[in-house]
Amino acid sequence: MINFQWRKWNKTLHRDIGYLSVAMVIIYGVSGIAVNHIGDWNPNYKLSKRIVQINPIVSQDRDEIIGQTVSSLSIMESPENYFRPDSNTAQLFYPGKTYSVDLPTGNVLIESTPSRPVLFEMNQLHLNAVKGVWTYIADIFALGLIFMGISGMFILKGSTGIMGRGKWFVVIGTIIPLFYWIWYQYLQ
Amino acid sequence: MKTISIILIAIALTFNTVDAGAKKEKRKYGKAITLKEKTKISDIIANPEKFNGKRLLVEGPIVDVCKERGCWIKIGGDKEFESLRFKVEDGVIVFPLEIKGKSTVAEGVLSVKTYSKEDLIKSGEEHAKKEGTEFDPSTITEGKTVIQLKGEGALVEIQ
Repeated sequence: MINFQWRKWNKTLHRDIGYLSVAMVIIYGVSGIAVNHIGDWNPNYKLSKRIVQINPIVSQDRDEIIGQTVSSLSIMESPENYFRPDSNTAQLFYPGKTYSVDLPTGNVLIESTPSRPVLFEMNQLHLNAVKGVWTYIADIFALGLIFMGISGMFILKGSTGIMGRGKWFVVIGTIIPLFYWIWYQYLQ
Repeated sequence: MKTISIILIAIALTFNTVDAGAKKEKRKYGKAITLKEKTKISDIIANPEKFNGKRLLVEGPIVDVCKERGCWIKIGGDKEFESLRFKVEDGVIVFPLEIKGKSTVAEGVLSVKTYSKEDLIKSGEEHAKKEGTEFDPSTITEGKTVIQLKGEGALVEIQ
């Protein structure tokens, strides 16, 4: 009969899957904190707004509005697109930048939205905006995490293992989400 | 070290090639476009009930994008001062902010919902309670009709 050393295999797999998961854990952890506070900040973009002044534009003609705006702002290229949300406003769109011209006053709101380096990419992966094969890579990572959670309980034996003080940590870790949900759903 | 350098250079060249190719193409978000005939946004806004519940294909510039979750885009109409919101389920499609100003063709099912003044006040109060903000019911003076395309797929021109 083969003597299957399950504890040794458990330890080995836990260790190696752990190594494989380091980068993913950091990506999902950092992004998790970032998107958790989406109400307080934009985790993907730095939104910047500034207002500059040009001469008021009387014309309602598209080409004249664009011409006067780009010449006043010394912009060398034509906009990618143009839109009139209302009779007083014209919007000129450039890559990563929007110029909203208040025609009667000449106030131009310049909005730019550069992405936050590294964090943007982490969030895209974490929230699976990229779809495709990444969906399955993320699934495998999730299964790896489940495995590490379960296998982690059985690495140590004795008083610090699952039969010792380990069980109390598992109970506490289970109670926190469970009780919070009961409070959120029924008691608040 | 040499092997790692070669791998990194190969990865960089691969992404560079993909990016160069993508610049000439349309980027797909969500499901593939199935309709061929486009409906003018001005026609939808002029007579929304006629199109309510119908699958439609519209085109125009992306004049706004949801800054928080990328869960909607606003598509400029063929007539001035008109636009249509293209709303997708959170997380199913995530529109990046950099597509603002690009041209798109987008397909979805039109939803027309009319809300009474009382509905809007109730909704505003619930939203304020949930977000922990203040809401002034006197700012709501009348009901409104919300027209939006429940988005399923879009192609965005990336130049």
